[in-house]
Order: sequence, then C-alpha cells, then structure tokens
Amino acid sequence: MNFPTQDFAALAPVGILSGGALILLLSEVFLASTRRGYQASLTVLFSILAAVAAAGGGSPGVIFNGQATVDAFSTFVTVIVCAGLALSALVGAGWLRARQAERGEFYALALFGASGMALLGSATDLLFAFISIEVMSISTYALAAYIRRGKKPAEAAFKYFILGSFSSALLLYGTALVYGAAGSTLFAEIGRAQGPLLVVGLGLVAVGLSFKVAAVPFHVWTPDVYEGAPTPVTAFMAAGVKTAAFAVLTRLALVAFQATPASAANSFAWVLAALALVSMLFGNWLALTQRSVKRMLAYSSIAHAGYLLVGVVAAAAAGAREAALSSILFYLASYTATVVGAFAVVAVLERRGRSLDEEPADAWDLERFAGLGRKRPGLAFAMAVFMVSLAGVPPTAGFIGKLLVFQAAISAHAYGLAVVGMLTSALGAYYYLRVVVYMYMRPAEDREIGLISPAIQVALALAVVAVIVLGVGPETVSKLARAAAAIGM
Amino acid sequence: MVPSSYYLALAAILFSIGLFGVVSKRNILIVFMCIELMLNAANLTFLAFARQSGNMAGHAIAFFVIAVAAAEAAVGLAIVIAIYRTRGTLHMDEVRVLRD
Repeated sequence: MNFPTQDFAALAPVGILSGGALILLLSEVFLASTRRGYQASLTVLFSILAAVAAAGGGSPGVIFNGQATVDAFSTFVTVIVCAGLALSALVGAGWLRARQAERGEFYALALFGASGMALLGSATDLLFAFISIEVMSISTYALAAYIRRGKKPAEAAFKYFILGSFSSALLLYGTALVYGAAGSTLFAEIGRAQGPLLVVGLGLVAVGLSFKVAAVPFHVWTPDVYEGAPTPVTAFMAAGVKTAAFAVLTRLALVAFQATPASAANSFAWVLAALALVSMLFGNWLALTQRSVKRMLAYSSIAHAGYLLVGVVAAAAAGAREAALSSILFYLASYTATVVGAFAVVAVLERRGRSLDEEPADAWDLERFAGLGRKRPGLAFAMAVFMVSLAGVPPTAGFIGKLLVFQAAISAHAYGLAVVGMLTSALGAYYYLRVVVYMYMRPAEDREIGLISPAIQVALALAVVAVIVLGVGPETVSKLARAAAAIGM
Repeated sequence: MVPSSYYLALAAILFSIGLFGVVSKRNILIVFMCIELMLNAANLTFLAFARQSGNMAGHAIAFFVIAVAAAEAAVGLAIVIAIYRTRGTLHMDEVRVLRD
C-alpha cells in the first residue's frame, strides 16, 4: 500500500494547522520573552493560510485509497473550521491576557484540534473518522482544563473527557462490528454490505456521533462542559466541534440512507428524525429557564443541533438531497459566526472575583447585561445582532440558515419536523430576546466593565459583519454551499 | 483452534462490563478503567473478525487504536490529577460544582 505525494498535498490545510501548532509550541520553549501578543496573531495567520490553501487547492477527490475525500464539501467545512478558530483565538487573546494565562499551548492545542476537525470534514472511512475525532477531542479535553485555577475548568474537562471517551468507545465498537459485516471500514464498502451486524454497528456509530453533536438524549454533558470551560474554548467547541461532527455525520448518513434493504435505510432516517425532534423540543425547553447566559447558550446549542439534524433527515429523500446538504453547510457557517460572537460578548461581560482564584457563582447572570445598551452601545448592538440571528429573525444569517433547512425539510415531505422546527424557533425567540430586553430596557447594575481588548473588538466586528452579510446577501455563500453539496449525487 | 466466535463473545462480554462500569461506578479511576476495557473489547473484535476473514486490515486497525488509547489516557490521567488537586477526592458525587 503506497500513497502518492499528491494525496498528502491534498491535505495541505491540515499540514499548515499542525505545523503552526508545532511552531507555537517551540516558540514557547525558545523565546524567553513574556510578551505573547504575537501568538494569537500567528494563530489567525495560520488559520487564514489553511483556509486559503483549502480554497485554492481544488478538489482532488478520493485520496489514500478511499479513506478520505477532498472535495468541495470538505473544503467548505475546513474554511468554516478555520474561521471559527481565528475568531476564537482573537477572543482567547483578550480573555487570557486579562487572567494572566496567555501561553503558546492554548493556541497550539486549538490548532491541533482544528486540524482534527479539518480531517474529519474529509473522512470517508470509519477508522479515519475515529482517529480524526480523537485528534479533535483530545485537544479540546486539554483546552477545557486549560485554566488550572478554581474548580470549574477541571470539572468541565473531566465530564467532557468521560463522556467523550465513552462515546468514542461506542463509536469504535460500532466500527468493529461494521468491519465484521462489511470486511472494510471504507464508507464506499459499507454501503454494499448488509445484515443485522451492520445495522447494530452503524447504530452504535450513530450514538457515538450523537454524543459529539450533543443531540438529546446524549446531551447531558453539554451545559456543564460549556459552562465550566474557559469561554473562548466554549466558543471554539460550539463552532468547530459541532461543524466537524456534523460533517462526518452527514457523510455517514448518506451511506446509511442508500443501504439495502430499504427498510434499514428508512429506520435509520426515522431514528435521526426522532433525535432531531427531541433535540429541538428539549434544547429550547431547557434553555427557557436559564438565568446564566452562558448556560442558556449551551442549551441553545443543543436546539441548534436539532435544527441541523432536520437538514440531515431531509437528505434522506433523494429529491431534496442537494437542498438539504447545502442548507446544513450554510447553517453551520452562520451558526459559527453567530455563536463565537455571542460567546465573545459573554467573555467580555464575565464577572470576575477579586482574586484570580475566585469563581463568582453568578458570573454570567442576565443581570450582567442590564443597561448595557446605554453603557456600551457597540457591545450591546453586537449582542443584539447575535441573539436575533440565533432566534432566526431576518435580516440575519440565522434566519437564512433556518429558512434553507426548513425548505429542504418541506421538499423532502418531512412536514412534521419543519412545523416543530418553526414552533420551537418561536419558543427560542423568547429567551434570546430576553437578553436584548435586559440590555436595552433594564436599568444598569452598578458595576464596571473592564476595557475590551482590541483583539476581541476585531473578533466582534468580524462576526457582526459576517452575520449581517450572510443575512442580507446570502447568494454568494449559498451558491458555494450548493456547489459543495454535490457529494450525495 | 479456538473458534473466532468465542473471541467475539468474549469481546461483547468485556464491552458490556465496561459499559456497565461507566454507568454505575462512582470512582473516577474505575470509570476510566472501564472505558479502556471498552476500547480493548473493540480491539479484540477487530482481531477476531480479521482472523475469521483473513483480512489483515483489522490487525493494523488494532495498532492505531492502541496508539489513540495511549494518547487519551495521558490527557485523561492529567485531568484526573487536576480533579484530585482541587478536591482531594476521586468520588464522582463530589464533582458537582457545575449544575442547574
């Protein structure tokens, strides 16, 4: 088995990301300076380089004897992941400096994680997917525990680690069963196999991936981990991990939907539909009562996993496949810009104790947002844009994303899911707009807000522009997403 | 020669023990060991299928899994130490600052 050089060249974005991580690690060893402002800029530079390499690299197609496929779909995913990484790194720069915790490992781990996510976008083999998931997950476990002061980060990392490696073990056992049934772990070969062993194996793989995308009932870790992890890491997890996990879930679902006999493919679609339904219902329902904005965003990410699953289910109908796949990609792009921006505002407003070790219980309470409209009009406007986009109100990216997903669901005759999606979006508008009400209509709590670092300002400005541009003029990106949706044809 | 179905059954039993342990045990280290057990059950399954069919890919996969499990253990044990330093205990029920 030998691999031609061009197969490695096709993975240039991954090489750039992991090379950048190594450079940052070495800089920490060899540069004695305490000034570390360059590290975030380097991270942004490497993610831009990787995105450019992905976009300019074309679509070499199947590489490594079918284990991976570099096509327009994987390119789109890589660009989203790089954008999420760059924005999170900018948020991280300001956040970490304020806590005197800025070190090269943080950015190196984020870059390694992003390289796993980029690999996952092109995985067309279960073992390749497993290893990419582990590259991504192990980096994010370490990132969640990055702040070693206080109890919360270690606890968040612990919960993430236990449930993450548990789900990886389920996925791996499922892979083993699929290997037994199909004699191979390649997606192309799996599609030709059949039998009960294959169904059980694919089921276990799907459960493992459901943990990663945080779909109900495999969501229990999400609120605790999102709350306890450092806020920039939470932003990176919400954007990157979700994007990558949905990329591989979509590719795998397309294989399963073409399985024989048709009854097996149908039951797979039904299970995904059920997951989508309960994720939309419970995610929104549980978010309703949250006073902590960070926790509310965690529950809302479960709800958004539900909306994305609606798109995956819609891809089961051959006629709606292109629309469904492009809607998933567009939704992931819009969700990345919105959620990283929202977490950036949360990071700015986070209440801090008098000493670095103290962990105030109400660090992210809604009260922190009271009166923000008068005190910090720019910040309040940015948060309002993100909340409106998450709620799915025009003219924002979130609205177009939801519109495309529900259109795809309707053309796939999944009317029930589309209706539940719209109703739960209305429910979601309540808790998103509550934040806006607090910002503009409540008197300010007597408190100071620290200076917003320039890096976070840049991240917020970029995210706001992205959300509005995707909402007002979505044609360019949706055309790219349609081109990237060709994998299912 | 022991038939490969015996190995498959053993792997399934090991996997179930691991699954049960993760769900029911309250000591963090034991939960961690149960996860390792599940990974090794998957390895055994790969090897049994590989021997059954004469397909060598399963053997290679087992090596990849061992490497990944080692990396995971390194980070996992570091997190366990961080938990122990902040709380002085490894009991799951003590790890509950984060909740609704």
